[in-house]
Amino acid sequence: MANRVAIAGIGQTYHKSNRPDVNQAEMVGEAVRAALEDAQISIKDIEGMFYSNMETFEGIYLPDHGMIAETGAFGKPGFKVATGGTSGGSVVCEGFYMVSAGLYDVVMVIGFEKQDCGDTTAAITAALNPSWSKGAATGAIGEFAKQALSYMKTSGAKEEHAAMARLKADKGACRNPYAHLKLGLTSVDQVMESGYLVWPLRFLDFCPQSCGACVLILASEEKAKKITKKPVWLADVEVVHQEPFKAGTFGDPTGTETYTQHAACERLYKRNGITDVRKDIDMAEIYEPSNWEEMNLYEHLHICEKNEGWKLIEKGVTEIEGEFPVNCSGGVIATNPIGATPVIRIAEAALQIRGDAGEHQATKDIKTALASALGGPNWTTLALLRRSI
Amino acid sequence: MAELAEKTATKVEGMDVWIYHGQINIPNTYSAGAAGSRFLVNLRDKGKIMGTRCPKCNRVYVPARSVCKDCFGKLKQWVEVSDKGTLLTYTIDSESKPIQPVDAPVIYGIVQLDGADTGFVHILSGVDPEQLRCGMRVQAVFKPREERVASILDIKYFKPL
Amino acid sequence: MAKEPEYIIVNIDVPRKYDWSTGKYLGKVYAEAKENKKLMGNRCPKCNQVMWYPTVVCPKCKVETGWDWVELADRGTVVQYTYLVFPLWDPHYGERWANSHPSAIIELDNGIYQRHWLEETDPEKLKEGMRVEVTWKENYDERGLGLQDVPFYRTIED
Repeated sequence: MANRVAIAGIGQTYHKSNRPDVNQAEMVGEAVRAALEDAQISIKDIEGMFYSNMETFEGIYLPDHGMIAETGAFGKPGFKVATGGTSGGSVVCEGFYMVSAGLYDVVMVIGFEKQDCGDTTAAITAALNPSWSKGAATGAIGEFAKQALSYMKTSGAKEEHAAMARLKADKGACRNPYAHLKLGLTSVDQVMESGYLVWPLRFLDFCPQSCGACVLILASEEKAKKITKKPVWLADVEVVHQEPFKAGTFGDPTGTETYTQHAACERLYKRNGITDVRKDIDMAEIYEPSNWEEMNLYEHLHICEKNEGWKLIEKGVTEIEGEFPVNCSGGVIATNPIGATPVIRIAEAALQIRGDAGEHQATKDIKTALASALGGPNWTTLALLRRSI
Repeated sequence: MAELAEKTATKVEGMDVWIYHGQINIPNTYSAGAAGSRFLVNLRDKGKIMGTRCPKCNRVYVPARSVCKDCFGKLKQWVEVSDKGTLLTYTIDSESKPIQPVDAPVIYGIVQLDGADTGFVHILSGVDPEQLRCGMRVQAVFKPREERVASILDIKYFKPL
Repeated sequence: MAKEPEYIIVNIDVPRKYDWSTGKYLGKVYAEAKENKKLMGNRCPKCNQVMWYPTVVCPKCKVETGWDWVELADRGTVVQYTYLVFPLWDPHYGERWANSHPSAIIELDNGIYQRHWLEETDPEKLKEGMRVEVTWKENYDERGLGLQDVPFYRTIED
């Protein structure tokens, strides 16, 4: 019989473009201490440490080994996972499996990335097979640019809708003390005036490279109830990855199709009795590296029907005060320390359920939340959080 | 548009297989961080080797670190350690590699400086490799002030006392 | 008043060189491109889908794709494209550049999808649905890099 798993502690760093004042180990240490402080437990109570980081983005090899002292991991079991953009989602799944299986009672899952040390786009471009991609220096941005073009064509969304989504994200980020980019945008025109990065994506349409770490303390039911009065239940998780972008395979010309999101949602929703996302779930923290991708994801995660994503933006359904808030924290487009980002999504969803999100707390009461992660060629991890189970 | 280096592939004799010659060239930086920076600045400005001390475990870490690995305590006490120490072990690398700071043969040693509780990796020089012994006493040789740049190589090498 | 401490940043600029084998499937592509100016994918015996780029195993059927080679059509229609405006760092070359040629997804006339560069650099002239044709490096000695033996897909009227 599987154990129930709860989030008993949450910690994150204040995400920034540059952190010259700390090395990677010291930066992660900040988030570890913040999580211990939140849970009011000592590092001695943690039984296992699981890390998430994409080494090539910083160029630091075996980073988990280099931060044993700074993260209090000496003598504890653990390992690192690296699954691209979903690394943080995968590491939360790891922690979930460990506690659920009864191997540990209290573990730490740690996501981090210190992107001032490298060039992420260059690192992603390096992942492409060199025989095929001479000079294909578009990295992830190029893929999202092509998806944006596709979305504009098939759904009828306009650049104004993408700009409105960017505005919503910035509003959330300005209210979130931990967020990275706080631009103080006041109008759609400001977004439309920013230049193109990779056409049709503008500079403001894509996420930044951030330095940050986020830590969750996962505990079994018995321990969680001892640690905190407000455990947030990690009811279920799901992971679906696929082969990298191969345009045209299996009827998908652009390689952008949503096999992984569909598969992940189908399985998770079925297991948890979710038939109408906007009724059965209260809010979502989704991984949208670009505002175009946010509208796409509304459809792929079944928050709305196909080709209707931009309408939710137009009607303000997903605003902080809206009927189905999405990314009250500002989302990935405001903060993206890649290894940490999916952990941040789950952390922010948990804060909403606890009622601890401060100024970016959703207006409606949040009892159930969905957190998603996205990586590389549309990989997906999902997490379902509940206030009570 | 910049002239880009041509990539090449070499065919393997006798089969339709090629070997593709490429590179992953990404400019990386490493932040020395709070403790590391102060350690390196002391090497450059004062020619001093600094460690951090954990009062609970009574342990001195050299090079200086921010956190004690045994008790997870933050290390706020800075102490100067000697530029002399004991050679714990060593090895000789006979092949030159782009990442190495000096040409081969390079003698790497782990030195425990007087006052430190940890080993410290550096280069040994000014000695015939045949004369090296574990346990021998060694001393740091610093570069002149104008050549020091807040790098671990501000210590040029260690030589026998 | 305490002075702001000095933080040291170390530069690490060592390119990681590698020598990767193409293996026999990609090697066949290299051989056909060099000798015959043809691009070839392999066809799954079970689902008949042509794999471009060739694979050892069909990802859907999980059977060995095998040695049934199909030539990619010379002409196709552009499904999607994008172009770099801001120069980005290219790790394969160790330099920052913005390729003026757009990257495109092309549906070739025999149903296979190709991802490659277009010759047309004027954004005004680019549109989805435009027709393109493969171009080759004509000099035998300059070929021998697989798909890189095809510099671009050129716009055509047909």
